[in-house]
Amino acid sequence: MDATAATGVDRKELDTKESALSAWLLERGRVAIGFSGGVDSAYLAVVARRVLGESGVLAIIGRSASYPAEQWAAARRVATEFDVPVLELDTEELSDPDYAANPSNRCYFCKSELWTKLVPAARARGFEAVADGTNADDLADHRPGARAALEHRVASPLAELGFTKADIRRASRELGLPTWQQPSSPCLSSRIPYGTGVTKERLEQVERAEAALRALGIAGDLRVRYHDELARVELAHSELASWLEPSRIAVVRDAVAAAGFERVAIDLRGFRSGSLNVLHGVVPA
Amino acid sequence: MTDEGRGDRTARNAEALAKGLAALGLGCSVEARGKLVLLLPDQETVIKLADDSTRRAALALAKEHGFTHAAIELPNDRRRADPDADATVLRD
Repeated sequence: MDATAATGVDRKELDTKESALSAWLLERGRVAIGFSGGVDSAYLAVVARRVLGESGVLAIIGRSASYPAEQWAAARRVATEFDVPVLELDTEELSDPDYAANPSNRCYFCKSELWTKLVPAARARGFEAVADGTNADDLADHRPGARAALEHRVASPLAELGFTKADIRRASRELGLPTWQQPSSPCLSSRIPYGTGVTKERLEQVERAEAALRALGIAGDLRVRYHDELARVELAHSELASWLEPSRIAVVRDAVAAAGFERVAIDLRGFRSGSLNVLHGVVPA
Repeated sequence: MTDEGRGDRTARNAEALAKGLAALGLGCSVEARGKLVLLLPDQETVIKLADDSTRRAALALAKEHGFTHAAIELPNDRRRADPDADATVLRD
């Protein structure tokens, strides 16, 4: 999705959804939110803070090697700027052999670990209701993590009330949230093909490569997909042509190679969400 | 289909793709890794692939030959110096 696609949203419809969200929050009184600092959970946390006040919301960040440091910094910035109380927990999904083996339902094991830690931590602090930032568009995607949320009775009010990604971007822009045009940022394990083990070293390698490319000035959606000795770089369509120019190719290659990849390739189609799901036949091409 | 049968078909697809790309004026060797195909282009082809329409044509051809993903490997001195790097390669 184009990061700036907040247009084409019916303002009246969005008003209705926003009112329904306020009512949903007020009905629960106090809500803890699984908070990654991404577009969706940032919006939910900030709305909850406004509707319920400081004591009514707790944004909980689960930190692990699969959570990009850049994303963590963005989450903390939003929380500070909008005065959202934050709790940080360490999660250990990499220690779970079911997760580390990287099956196509890997996200289920990750979310199980997250909610197993987060829900009791929320309840211990008087937050009976726990919510995540899943939106209505996510429901059509391959999302095995949703089952874990269901098992831990984690609510998804944005999905429940019909908020699309475009709705959330538009509403976020109007609230002054810096995340409104932030590209989607799934966990680093999403760069590793199913069946290839997830290790701390591989996640760090991918993270270093992406950070190096960002440092070159590459904007928009960006993924470094891990294929053993090869890094396959997916760039936003708007960036692709300029980085394929011979004078810049060497710069890209060197930046990624410095992260520990022997070979570097740029995907000719550019960024596509769930690219590895397509490559491994989990979803159709 | 057996793994061997799939491998044979992928190899044939890679060879056919390399020929198709050459017919478009894109000189490169091709390495198949399952549904991903890597194009290892000569310098002139790198320049051509910076163009949107050329890239689209190469992608369409890759899709026609059964590949869901096509990527251009960024050339480096080590691979250019390796004479074996010019062959069509199959890796699964």
